[in-house]
Amino acid sequence: MSIANKTTAPARLWRFGLWGILVVLLGLSILVSLGIGRFGVPIDHVFAILLGNVFPIELTWKPVEERVVELIRMPRILIAALAGAGLAVAGSALQGVFRNPLVGPQIIGVSSGAAFGGAFAILVSESQVLLIGAAFGFGMLAMLVVYTISRQQGRASILMLVLAGIVTSAFFSALVSITKFVADPDDKLPAIVFWLMGSFASSSYEKVLLIGIPVMLGSLVVYLMRFQINVLSLGDEEAQSLGLKVERTRWIVLVAVALISAAVVSAAGIVGWVGLVIPHFARMLTGPDHKALIPAAALIGAIYLIHVDNVARASIAAEIPVGIITALLGAPVFAYLLRRAANKGWSSE
Amino acid sequence: MRLLALLATFFVTANSAFADAITITDQRGRKITLDGDVKRVVTIPIPAASMFIAVDGSTDRLVGMHQLSKTAIKGRILERFYPDALTIPSNITGKGFSFVPNVEELLVLEPDLVFQWGHLNDDIIEPLVNAGLEVALIRIGKEEFTRKWLTMMGAMTGKADKAQAMIDWRDDVMAEVRAATADIAEDDRPRTLYFMNYLSKLRVAGGKSYNNFYIDLAGGKNVAAELGMFVDVGVEQIIAWDPEVILLNGFEAKLSPQDVYDNELLADLSAVKNRRVYKMPLGGYRWDPPNQESPLTWLWLSMILHPDKIDWDMAERISRNYQFIYGQDVTDDDVANILRVDMNADAANYDIFGAN
Repeated sequence: MSIANKTTAPARLWRFGLWGILVVLLGLSILVSLGIGRFGVPIDHVFAILLGNVFPIELTWKPVEERVVELIRMPRILIAALAGAGLAVAGSALQGVFRNPLVGPQIIGVSSGAAFGGAFAILVSESQVLLIGAAFGFGMLAMLVVYTISRQQGRASILMLVLAGIVTSAFFSALVSITKFVADPDDKLPAIVFWLMGSFASSSYEKVLLIGIPVMLGSLVVYLMRFQINVLSLGDEEAQSLGLKVERTRWIVLVAVALISAAVVSAAGIVGWVGLVIPHFARMLTGPDHKALIPAAALIGAIYLIHVDNVARASIAAEIPVGIITALLGAPVFAYLLRRAANKGWSSE
Repeated sequence: MRLLALLATFFVTANSAFADAITITDQRGRKITLDGDVKRVVTIPIPAASMFIAVDGSTDRLVGMHQLSKTAIKGRILERFYPDALTIPSNITGKGFSFVPNVEELLVLEPDLVFQWGHLNDDIIEPLVNAGLEVALIRIGKEEFTRKWLTMMGAMTGKADKAQAMIDWRDDVMAEVRAATADIAEDDRPRTLYFMNYLSKLRVAGGKSYNNFYIDLAGGKNVAAELGMFVDVGVEQIIAWDPEVILLNGFEAKLSPQDVYDNELLADLSAVKNRRVYKMPLGGYRWDPPNQESPLTWLWLSMILHPDKIDWDMAERISRNYQFIYGQDVTDDDVANILRVDMNADAANYDIFGAN
C-alpha cells in the first residue's frame, strides 16, 4: 500500500475520470433537485429563473415560482449538500485516525454532545453563534470523554472505542432530556424539540453561511492533514517511527471533525449513518489514500444527502424526517459492506 | 322487632345506594360506576377542564387539570368568572403537550374520577387504572364525540339538564350555520388552512381533525383534508395549497398573524396577500379544539369565510350564551378580547364583528 504522494499514470487517469463524473453528478443533482418539490415548477422555468440571475431574461415565470426555487429549494439543497459532504469527510477522517471502519461522528459521541450543547444554548440564550459554539464545545467534550475512556496503555481498541461511544452518547442524551424537562413549555421547549428533530425544512441563506463556513473550514483542515491521516492509519507505532507527532496530529483532526459535526447538527439535527456509510463507498472507488478519499467522500456525501432530502420533502404532502431515511438506507448497506470488508481486509487490527 | 328495624335499615341503605349509583359508558365502551355524584374530578385532556367547569357551573368539584388548560384560563375571561380556578393544581402531567399522568400527584388529589384521552396510546391510561383510579376515556375529532363529553359530565354531576341544553344549543347553531352555508357552491368555498403549530414547526390539521369538521361546516375547504389528524408539512406544500384563509392556533400564545405576514417565504399566498390570516379567538376556552363554546366558533368562522354572505351579531351571541353557559355578563371590551381584536384588528373584514 502506498502512503506517499505517488500514483501511477493509469491510476491518475482513473482519478481524473472519477472527479469529472462526481462533479458532473453533483451539478446535475442540484439542477434536478431544483425542479423537484410539492409545488409544481416546470423545468424550463427553473432554468429560466436560474439564468435570470445572470442575464436579463424576459419574465416567463411567475414570481411565486422564483421564490420557491430560489428562497425555498436552493438554500435547502445547499444545506443538504454541505451537511452530506461534511459528515462524509468527518467520517473518513475518523475512520482513518482511529484505524476503524465502524467509527462515525455519531458513534464516537460528538453528535450527541453537540446536540446537548445546542439544546442548552437555546435554553439560556437566543444567539445563533452561541448555539454553534456550544454545540462545538460539547461535541469536543464528548469526543474527549470517549477518547479518554477508551484508551488503555496508550492505545484504543475498536471494542473499547465503540463501547465508550455508546456510554457517552447515552449520558449526553440524558442531559438533553433534562434540558427539555426544565425548558419553558410555551417558549423554549418547542424551539429545542424542533432543533433536535433535525430537518432541512427551515433552511435559509443565512443558515447556509452559518454551517457552510465551519464545514468548509473543518474539511479544509482534514484535507490538509491527508498525509498525516494516511500515516496514522498504519498504526501508532509505525507512525511514530516515521517521525509523526501522533497525539498532536490526532487532536488536530478531531477538532476539525467536531467543528464539522457541530455545524451539521446545528443546521439539521442528528443525521445518522451518512458519516459511517459514505466513506466506505468512497474507499471502494479511490482506495485507502486519503488524498483521493476525502474529496471523493465529500462529493458522494453531498450527492447522497441531496437525494435523500428530495425524498423527505417531495414524496408525500407531509414532511418526512431526513434521519429516518438515512437510517433505513444506511443500516442495511452498512451491514452489507461489513460482510464484504470482513473478507477483503481493513488494514488494521 | 329489632331484627325488623335492622332489615329495614339495610333495605333503605341498599335502596338509596342503588338509587344514587350512576353508570356511565365512556368513549372506549368501558362501564364506569360511581356511588353518586362525583365530588372530586381531574381532567387530563386539555379542553375538558373548562367544559367541566361550564357544565357544573363552578370549580368546586374540579381538583386537578392539565397545565395547558390553566394557561387558557389565566389572564382570560374564565379567570374573572371563576377566580378559584387558578388555585386548582395543574402539575398532574408531563410538560408541554404531554398527557403522561403523574400518578402520585394525582393520588394526592384523591379524585373520584379522572378524564383521560382514549384515542392516544394505552400507556397514558394503564398507570391510572393500575393505581385504582376510576378513569373515563374520551375521544376527539368528531362533533358527536364532544356531545358525549357533555352528556357524561352532566350525568356525573347531576347537571344532565344543563348538559342537554348545551347540546341542544349545538344542534340549533349547527342547523343555522348549515342552512347559511348549504347553497354556497364548491368553488366559492375558500381554501382554508389551520396551523396547529407555526412557531416551532409547520403542523397543520388534516381530514380527521375536529378543525376539518368545522371548516366544512362554516363553508370552507380544508386544503390539508388528504392528511390525517395533525401532520408536519414543508413550506413548499403550503405554497402548493395556496390557502385563501389561514387560521392560527390558540396554543402558541405569542403567535399572531403578523408572524405569517412577515414570513417572506409565504408572501405569495392568497391569504397573506388579502390579509386573511386570523388568530383563533379565546373565550372560556380556546375556540379551535372542541369546547363548550364551539357553536360560537362555527358562527365566527362562517363570517370569516363568507363576510359578504353571512352576518350574525357576534357580540349579541357571545353575550347571550355566556349568560346561558356561565351565568355571567360580558362587556364590549370582553367581546373584543375574546375575538382577539388585539391581533386580528388589521385583518381583512374584521370590522364586521363591530368589536374594533
